[in-house]
Amino acid sequence: MAVVELEGVKKVYRSGSGRRTVEVEALKGIALAVEEGEFVAIMGPSGSGKSTLLHILGLLDRPSAGSYRLAGQDVTALDEAEAARVRNRTIGFVFQAFFLLPRATALKNVELPLAYRGVPPRLRREQARTALAAVGLEDRLDHLPSELSGGQKQRVAIARALVQEPAILLADEPTGNLDSESGQEVMALFERLNAEGKTVILVTHEPEIAAHARRVIRMRDGEVVADEVR
Amino acid sequence: MRFADLFFTAIEALFAHKLRTFLSLLGVIIGVFAVTALISLGEIATYGIRRGLEQVAGRSVFIQGRFVPGKGPVRFSEADRRLLAALPARVIPYVFASALGHDARGKPVEVQVLGVPGDLPALDPGTELAEGRFFTRSEGKRGLPLAVLSQKAASELKARTGERVDLAFGPRRTRFFVVGVTKPLGGLFAGLNQPQAYVPYRWLWQHVPGLRRGRYHALELKVRPGVEVKLVAERAKALLAQRYGKDRIRVQSVESFTRALSQITLMLQALLGGIGALSLLVGGIGIMNIMLVSVAERTREIGLRKALGATAAAIRTQFLLEATLLTLTGGVLGVVLAAIVLYLVVAAVPFFEVFILSPKTVLLALGVSALVGIFFGVWPADQAARLDPIEALRYE
Repeated sequence: MAVVELEGVKKVYRSGSGRRTVEVEALKGIALAVEEGEFVAIMGPSGSGKSTLLHILGLLDRPSAGSYRLAGQDVTALDEAEAARVRNRTIGFVFQAFFLLPRATALKNVELPLAYRGVPPRLRREQARTALAAVGLEDRLDHLPSELSGGQKQRVAIARALVQEPAILLADEPTGNLDSESGQEVMALFERLNAEGKTVILVTHEPEIAAHARRVIRMRDGEVVADEVR
Repeated sequence: MRFADLFFTAIEALFAHKLRTFLSLLGVIIGVFAVTALISLGEIATYGIRRGLEQVAGRSVFIQGRFVPGKGPVRFSEADRRLLAALPARVIPYVFASALGHDARGKPVEVQVLGVPGDLPALDPGTELAEGRFFTRSEGKRGLPLAVLSQKAASELKARTGERVDLAFGPRRTRFFVVGVTKPLGGLFAGLNQPQAYVPYRWLWQHVPGLRRGRYHALELKVRPGVEVKLVAERAKALLAQRYGKDRIRVQSVESFTRALSQITLMLQALLGGIGALSLLVGGIGIMNIMLVSVAERTREIGLRKALGATAAAIRTQFLLEATLLTLTGGVLGVVLAAIVLYLVVAAVPFFEVFILSPKTVLLALGVSALVGIFFGVWPADQAARLDPIEALRYE
């Protein structure tokens, strides 16, 4: 079953005003279906529209045209609060710069999405602990981000995404801020999670990172130019 | 997000920058301190004035005639006195005269002479003796030349208890025997102390030309405990108005003074509170400034929270809560500071007799400080809530 279904998705940015308005088509009608359990890498040079696509997939942005179904639900035109709810329940983000709260322990960071879901403190601590154990950080629960290595930080961020039990994991250059060894660790983790059945979509411009995925989608100038499954 | 979580998130954010939090608090602390202290000082001063007034006039109603052109002066009679005796109050009649005495160097001193029945302290607990005794009622009835001097009269006439003093009513001079000296009025009303002499009114009737036997210049009603002074004043006025007409009678009580006083002090409190509120306004602007800085600094955090599922409403509540907690804390500290300073002022300045910090003032101060937080927090919180998560996550 398709988890992600995009049809004719366009994104147009307008800048300037009046006669000088300039329209830039960042996405020119994307059709894309991702099945449950897939591991997809989206590649392309900067300006290819891959980040815009990721933002639309993550419900951080709305398409100008076209439709988007996520986990069977039409999410094309949700209002702000509904979109926040869907993000909270079905999308797990992993960012290049980790984005951990600097004054919160690893455990607290992982609990955060559950707090926004309204899960009672005891239960969410339990779930956060399980998620951190799943990324091999059960002995770093009370560490602050500043006390963790880059690879560990990214694993905390992955645990934070996992704890949501999302329909898709969205990763934006997840190894961009890591040395190659830590990068390999993180990619191995993604592979393992995918082997356990998680749907992973990651954006990267590095071929060796994309090589971990089973399906690679190449973009250029707002269009999908290649879609290959290995 | 559960409210408790939002609450702790706000607390954590405030604790993350302790020095900054404290400095931005200062404005609110000073503002709330000013409002609380100024309002309370007003209350304390009012209390002092009111108590002073009660010492002077107690639970009294003063009845005098009012001059109306074409009609003679009102002089109260024994019948009036009996009429008023039906009221739940003690009636003290007064006859007024003026006399001249001489100080040690022979300089004339004008003395206000009050003719009273005798044993005034029993009738009016407000009259206290510093030394000696008051002439008794039977001495009064016999019209003996006995006098009780006010402190001021005693000192100016250089006369003490047991000595004699000469007082002249017109050409004739009489030697009075001084039996006692009254205590002077203290504090605020010290300025009202005058050379006065209490003598039996019967003596005045017999010896002072122009005074008619059985006529009084004024009547004082000492209202019994538990009875409202205002009520007695109204009844007395109604009774006497039947005889003399409403406009020829002047009835005054402490209540009428204090009512006027309350209005003045209320205005004064509003004025002082307003000045305090102005500094609170400045504090509030400081809070808004610091909240805007905080929102700008935490742009990425806000973007992250949104990506993880925070609604705009949750972000708004979080920042609003932060601002409100900040000002409310400032409010509590301001009230505590005001309490300490007021306590010290009351201990050090004799004019302020009692420490008053009314719950109403405290609630007002805390309520206003919370409102300041909400009012000045709304805009920064709204800025935070409206951040575009993509822009926020990209923000460096």
